[in-house]
Amino acid sequence: MWQGLFQIALTLLPIGIITPILGKYLAVVFEADPSTRLRSKSVLTWLDSVFSHSERAIYRFSQIDRDQVMTGWQYARAIFASNIVMGIFVFILLITQAGLPFNSTGLIAPTWDTALHTTISFLTNTDQQHYSGETTFSYASQVLGLGFLLFTSAATGLAVGIAFIRGLTGRSLGNFYVDLTRGIIRVLLPLSIVIALLFLIGGVPETLDPPITATTLDGATQIIAVGPVAHFESIKQLGENGGGFFGANSAHPFENPNSFTNLIATIAMISIPAALIHTYGIFAGNTRQSWLIFGMVFGFFIISIGIAAMGEYGGNPLINAQLGSSQPNLEGKEVRFGWAQTALWAVATTGTMCGAVNGMLDSFMPAGGLVTLFNLFLQIIWGGQGTGTAYLFVYLILAVFLTGLMVGRTPEFLGRKIEKPEIILASVVLLVHPIAVLIPSAITLAFPETLSGISNAGFHGISQVVYEYASASANNGSGLEGLADSAPAATGLWWNLSASMSMLFGRYVPILALLLLADGMSRKQPVPMTTGTLRTDTVLFTSVTAGVILVLGALSFFPILALGPIAEAFQIHNL
Amino acid sequence: MKHILSPTVIEDLSAIATKLHDRKSTRYLLWSFAINLILAPVVYAATGGTISREQSYALGILGIVTVALSLYLFLVIFQPEKF
Amino acid sequence: MTSIPRSQRKHTPKAKSKGMLARAIKQSFVKLDPRIAIKNPVMFLVWIGTIITALMTIDPNIFGTVVGRDVRLFNGLICGILFATVLFANFAEAFAEGRGKAQADALRATKSDTSARKVLADGSISEISSTSLRKGDIVKVIAGDMIPADGEVTSGEAAVDESAITGESAPVLKQPGTDIASSVTGGTRILSDELLIRVTADPGKGFIDRMISLVEGADRSKTPNEIALTVLLAVLTQVFLIVIATLSPVANYAKTPVSIAVLVALLVALIPTTIGGLLSAIGIAGMDRVAQFNVIATSGRAVEACGDINTLVLDKTGTITLGNRLAEEFIPIGSHDLASVAQIALNSSVFDETPEGKSIVLLAHKLGAVDQVDQTTAAGIEFSARTRMSGTDVDGIEIRKGAVDAVKGFVRSRRGQIPLDLDQAYERVSRLGGTPLAVCQGDDIYGVIYLKDIIKPGIRERFDQMRQMGIRTVMLTGDNRITASVIAAEAGVDDFIAEATPEDKIEVIRAEQALGKLVAMTGDGTNDAPALAQANVGVAMNSGTQAAKEAANMVDLDSDPTKLIDIVTIGKQLLITRGALTTFSIANDVAKYFAILPAIFASAGIGSLNVMGLASAQSAILSALIYNALIIPALIPLALKGVKFRPLSAEQLLQRNIFIYGLGGVIAPFIAIKAIDLLVAAVGLA
Repeated sequence: MWQGLFQIALTLLPIGIITPILGKYLAVVFEADPSTRLRSKSVLTWLDSVFSHSERAIYRFSQIDRDQVMTGWQYARAIFASNIVMGIFVFILLITQAGLPFNSTGLIAPTWDTALHTTISFLTNTDQQHYSGETTFSYASQVLGLGFLLFTSAATGLAVGIAFIRGLTGRSLGNFYVDLTRGIIRVLLPLSIVIALLFLIGGVPETLDPPITATTLDGATQIIAVGPVAHFESIKQLGENGGGFFGANSAHPFENPNSFTNLIATIAMISIPAALIHTYGIFAGNTRQSWLIFGMVFGFFIISIGIAAMGEYGGNPLINAQLGSSQPNLEGKEVRFGWAQTALWAVATTGTMCGAVNGMLDSFMPAGGLVTLFNLFLQIIWGGQGTGTAYLFVYLILAVFLTGLMVGRTPEFLGRKIEKPEIILASVVLLVHPIAVLIPSAITLAFPETLSGISNAGFHGISQVVYEYASASANNGSGLEGLADSAPAATGLWWNLSASMSMLFGRYVPILALLLLADGMSRKQPVPMTTGTLRTDTVLFTSVTAGVILVLGALSFFPILALGPIAEAFQIHNL
Repeated sequence: MKHILSPTVIEDLSAIATKLHDRKSTRYLLWSFAINLILAPVVYAATGGTISREQSYALGILGIVTVALSLYLFLVIFQPEKF
Repeated sequence: MTSIPRSQRKHTPKAKSKGMLARAIKQSFVKLDPRIAIKNPVMFLVWIGTIITALMTIDPNIFGTVVGRDVRLFNGLICGILFATVLFANFAEAFAEGRGKAQADALRATKSDTSARKVLADGSISEISSTSLRKGDIVKVIAGDMIPADGEVTSGEAAVDESAITGESAPVLKQPGTDIASSVTGGTRILSDELLIRVTADPGKGFIDRMISLVEGADRSKTPNEIALTVLLAVLTQVFLIVIATLSPVANYAKTPVSIAVLVALLVALIPTTIGGLLSAIGIAGMDRVAQFNVIATSGRAVEACGDINTLVLDKTGTITLGNRLAEEFIPIGSHDLASVAQIALNSSVFDETPEGKSIVLLAHKLGAVDQVDQTTAAGIEFSARTRMSGTDVDGIEIRKGAVDAVKGFVRSRRGQIPLDLDQAYERVSRLGGTPLAVCQGDDIYGVIYLKDIIKPGIRERFDQMRQMGIRTVMLTGDNRITASVIAAEAGVDDFIAEATPEDKIEVIRAEQALGKLVAMTGDGTNDAPALAQANVGVAMNSGTQAAKEAANMVDLDSDPTKLIDIVTIGKQLLITRGALTTFSIANDVAKYFAILPAIFASAGIGSLNVMGLASAQSAILSALIYNALIIPALIPLALKGVKFRPLSAEQLLQRNIFIYGLGGVIAPFIAIKAIDLLVAAVGLA
């Protein structure tokens, strides 16, 4: 057991080191303080000039006025417009893939609903896959279509997070097109190149050659799928996308061959959302607060890992009883990762809204199922690229509102009063998730035969259905699988369309609310701090916020958790 | 005695209720009954015949009431001054 | 004027609690009217739930066949408890309103429909009902009349009994011209002589009318903070509605079907009924508390804004120091001795009717000075803001006393010499925190009078409390810098503006507001009106002018400027009470989940989550609901009185309240529900 825990600790250690560095870098990229310029003559200044030149070329080519400052509405409109254009482009690409080049396996067009679901899924940074990549999409579709969205959807989320932080700290929101360009050129592209190189070193293939045909030892012919995997893999992890090149995702030996690539992939998932908290601290000029928030989220994270890992280490009592010994639960796991690395990954991938998997989540013990579902419900245990950090602050604002009243003042956050518009917009963010998860789940479970095609009856079936929508609405993308959600199945159409609705709803409504919230906050006259002001950078307030997050999150989803993983746990452990 | 609240009784009750209210609520009630004509068979089908037709009508109305309450709450959320 | 302790001064007779109770109970039923009920989203849902469970009591199988024993009884009990919950919430609101109404009735009694003598344009008088008076009309009142409307005295001089609104029994002299004494209030009684009054407010919009409608809650519009909280409560309700509505198919799938009555029960238990039921009572009670302090607020918004005040701008005189400065010492200057200074000071003050003047006369007499001035031949020179001097002219000799530099100027204009030790004496008095007045006869300065300022007892402690709450106090005074700084240090204010003019007030307020601060101030004169209007919270004294009262958003009937501090406390209490009960309400849900969910999903095998060991599924649901209903009346006293406010820092307050209402809110229902469950099981209800 200790070896497993040591592996987990070893993976988490670099995050503490990366967070302040990357957080500072993000603050510089998005100009927390425009006067900070790189002064020393070094490789950094050389890189800076390369970045600046490419940015300027892009602005000139697409006629972007980079000094134009957007309001909340304008920023949101720019996001919607650009996302619609990108979505249409990719949808057409997927539908016409049969006639396009780089289709070495001669794949035909997917069904329209699969193409639509896939487009929306990658556009919203969800990357829920109701297909197997190697047998559905050509290299062109994967690299030019989906690979393109891996970058833009991550950069869109990052831009929203940055715009939100700017508004919260009293700055104007900035310009979406500039933020998008900077996010890709200065953050995602350079980092994913580095990570892709590390993956290449680790043994991940990067090729346009067609699949390899091999003859196995017992003489059978086996076709081994390869492709331009390494670069796809790096942005998939870094951008919280999670959409695998292969159907088996990061459990596939070409996506994630060994412990080294597993380590890199895990760190890549967590690094940006964690760093963004520190970026907030720099923007707000209060790194004490950002470290406290970081600590809170890290605490949630560690506890989640603990629960999931203990569940897996304890193994399945029904099987252990037959074996007559205590074995960890290794069903659905890659032996090269073991219970500890798989549990850590599961918590990280559901917490960060990455959604890549290196083992079968469906096979987790109920404890793991509970934790992963709860992560999807809360959406802040690191959270999605950019949006996760924003959700975190929505909870903070709600906590400020409740506790601020209790000190006898109109609640204020960073000196700005929390009033009706803020509560309405924060509430919208809070409401979207239950609506997008519970309502379609209820409809699906009301018509189990016609709509769902659930492989497991009973409590686990409930977990499967709820997980699918929670994953869609949270823009996570992982799945408990076992649902007949792929196109040839009769229920595929329902799953594709209903999940698409949840993804769209769970992505764009909160983005609009967040931007309007930030816009409103940026326009408020700040009130000076006095001893009567509630300080938000204290251990007390941070603990209260943690309580508010747990209570609000738990209250909304406790009945579902009770009928899903909790009931399942009682059943298995025979309590 | 088992089902004294058959749909007709509910309609009678609602007729009394509408007398107490203005015309607007009458229209809402009529609409909800109209919608229920479509909704109730769906409910009946969903339950796989474990409930009677009357019960499916009652459940349909209950569903409409729930949706109406939800819409009402959205109204409160977006225009709290009116309440 | 006599000063009566405030406790005896309350202008409302103790309301008859029995009649009030009956009225509140009656009102609780009146408020069941859907048109009223729909105004409170949380309780409206409970009301609908009551109807649904009532239908299920009549026909338990209306929404699908329910198996089990005593289903009808069980549904009936749920229905009854839900109905009681609605009634309790209505009662809380009605009771709070009733207290206000009792206060309003007492006021209304003073305002019997009187007839008024309206002076027509041709000078003739016509008797009309006071309700048909309009703004701008001139009325005549004579001794014994009730003054028919708010107005301003245009001619005459009379004593008016204002005890009906101020509780002050001594009559007040009213005459035209002077700022303060010229405004009269409708409903007060003229005791002597007669007055011509120009009506300044239409009937029904006068002072008392405003107060009546405010304490009654008729005019009550939600404050910004209440609105934000309403949104949050509606959102929580919406979340739970979705959770419960979608639970049914999920439960069916898990083969643990739940009856609609139980789902309604669960919904009601989860939505924030506690705060939803008490929210409006808290607001009404807050206004009532303000009224009990003899303060009229024009809106609840103003009271709430008090809680947010960052800066308090206060006049020195009357607020920080007692209004009257008394002569403490005479300081001879140059070659003059004490006796001659006393004599000249006495001569200068014979016509001075102010308390300061009288105290100078008293001190001079004590020091052996004798009355020399023949008041029939001498002429009194009144104090004016321009000359800043007053005095007496006897046989062409000008005797003056006044601000030191004013007297200096006077003496210089008479080609006199300024003694070298004048400045020394001036400084000495200033350093003691006193006001120095120079006295002169002709071109000769005799000496300096030391007027001592007396700082109100206990004021320093109040300012210390303010500082702890994060409120900065700024003192404004016409005194010179040295005096001002001494008084400021002694009283413990944070900042002061010396030699201030009324224009300085508005500038101080603007400067503070530019920093994003909320400013409160008190004022009474007409020249305070712009500053009162500029301030976020302006409290006018009832003794002040009509203009000041119009500009302010609160009027203090006792004309006690320190009361602003009490109002700040009430404003904070309001917010704290709302926050505390909301937190409590949400924290309660944890226990309710643990009571109800294991009970209804027992067949799903999660029975061991029943940590409270409740007797049965039915008793678990009933106990949670009974707790949910009873907690509302149990908390009515707290809602009406408000959470006790202590002047602590924000951090300490949060710690305290989170501990009591957050942690307490999680733990208390576990104990209470278990206790109720034992009772329910013992009675054998379920």
